[in-house]
Amino acid sequence: MNPVVVAEDVAKRYGETVALDGASLSIDAGEVFALIGPNGAGKTTLVRALTGTVSPDSGSVSVLGTAPADVDASRLGVLPQSFSPPDRLSARELLAYYASLYPESRDPDTVLAEVGLADSAETWYENLSGGQQRRACVGSTLLNDPDVLVLDEPTTGIDPAGRRTIHRLIEDLAADGTTVLLTTHDMAEAERLADRVGLLADGTVLDVGSPAALVDRHAGSDRLVVDLAETETDTESPMTAADLVATARETLPNRIERDRSRLVVHDVDPTDIGSVADDLSTAGIEYTGLRWTEPGLEAVYYALADAETDAVTGGPESVAGEASVTSNPPISDVGGGRP
Amino acid sequence: MTAVDSPAARVRRIRGAVSAGWRAFVRRRTAVFFTFFFPAILVIIFGALVRTSSGSGGLFAEPAGYYVPGYLATVVLFTPLSRMSSEVARHREGNRFEKLATTPLGRTEWLLAQTIVNAVIITIAAALILVLVVALTGATVALSPLLLVYVLVGVVGFCGLGAALGSYTESQDGAVAASNAIGLPVLFLSATFVNPSQLPAWFLPLVDLSPLSYFARGVRAATYPAADYGPVLGFDPVIGNLLVLTGASLVLFWIGARSIPQTES
Repeated sequence: MNPVVVAEDVAKRYGETVALDGASLSIDAGEVFALIGPNGAGKTTLVRALTGTVSPDSGSVSVLGTAPADVDASRLGVLPQSFSPPDRLSARELLAYYASLYPESRDPDTVLAEVGLADSAETWYENLSGGQQRRACVGSTLLNDPDVLVLDEPTTGIDPAGRRTIHRLIEDLAADGTTVLLTTHDMAEAERLADRVGLLADGTVLDVGSPAALVDRHAGSDRLVVDLAETETDTESPMTAADLVATARETLPNRIERDRSRLVVHDVDPTDIGSVADDLSTAGIEYTGLRWTEPGLEAVYYALADAETDAVTGGPESVAGEASVTSNPPISDVGGGRP
Repeated sequence: MTAVDSPAARVRRIRGAVSAGWRAFVRRRTAVFFTFFFPAILVIIFGALVRTSSGSGGLFAEPAGYYVPGYLATVVLFTPLSRMSSEVARHREGNRFEKLATTPLGRTEWLLAQTIVNAVIITIAAALILVLVVALTGATVALSPLLLVYVLVGVVGFCGLGAALGSYTESQDGAVAASNAIGLPVLFLSATFVNPSQLPAWFLPLVDLSPLSYFARGVRAATYPAADYGPVLGFDPVIGNLLVLTGASLVLFWIGARSIPQTES
């Protein structure tokens, strides 16, 4: 594939603050690439370096085969983070304004319809809801029919319906061959939209891959979360926490951890849930619910970001690359109750 | 960023920015009201209430016609300074320059568009001032097409200065405060309301450094028959002062355009 967006070993400091510390990534033509990472990780600085609005201290960046400063602006669409356009223009006037900046542009009304604002075309920007405002801003990036679209947190503040509109828009653009770089804190959004995801922490791209590949590499296994009955978590209970884990480990071959009032049984195939439940009952472990979880990008996020933080701070004792139990949202509830 | 450019594309961009800037201005009713109220109230206070007292010494000792350049200077100086500095600060706070930096619209084009909007507003305000001055003070004003040229050239320069102020202040509040802090002394010490003969001799070179002094002297030479100015750069004072003002305005405009942030450091 032909990379159209490339950052190599980019570093940027603001005084004593290191924003980027050797960040590298490469995005192929027609690819949707999501950049995820904690606040302050350097996502926006990297985006700005790629769009030419920040000058890196070192390293190199190129877009469409050239330095950002030399890119034909008509081929690029950019939505900055926290972008606030002139607020006393109607949605239509706003898009007409940005359309006028390009030698050739799309019909603003068509773009308004695409971002779901056809019915609010005459409403001043300041009177649009927060989600509508963000959609209008996304619309402002589409007027020149860009080859490369850079969206810094495009769905922040947008309700689920509006987010779905933006997602479909991005999927359609990708299907038409537009290269998309987006930053997001929404892991589900990254998982849904991105061909590849890059995780940035402390100014460094820690890993890049498809969502599935990242999950395989960093998120650990499928697991069964066992919500223990109160008697099992009672400090007066004859079975101590250590006893409980020991009993479970004697009973099951799987890796088992205790997390407050839960037991986490790793590497459980969905078809084995019944037998695991039977084994727990046989061992005398009482529980109130079972939840099978499949790790996703969120687990990758915590695994990599926490490992990076731990590497910097020297704590805590969790094993790098192993997702926190509490970071995994339940994917399916398989019921439960006292055995 | 670069763009495959043509004069038509450039005109289209500037026209689009002018249209957006004009709409954004006229829809702020408070801003519109005070843009015209401020110079009007100055004329009412100093021209009608305080009144001039010819030959009495002190401020406002000259005939009413002498102060026409001063009243015009209030809008030619203050309106661009406050509007441009706050507009630039507003653009910075909303990351609008970051967005514009990724479009074909250049900094100079953006500033030119804003200057055109200001020029229209200030021309209307200047006409209003002339009418009020004549009506309220009975001043005799010799109208000249060069009066319009002076106003437009002055607007270009002070829009540039306002843009520079907005680029280097932290916020809209800071921009407005800075424009007032710079605008007030410049206004009163640039041969507008205070006759330079009333200033200490050591201060006069500073008066000559102010572009507004050339605006005031040139407008006075054009509109106030009693003005007695010698040649400037070897030209009639109306033309000579205009040439100096034009040079200063172009420099200020260039500084303003260069100051507008396109990238972070």
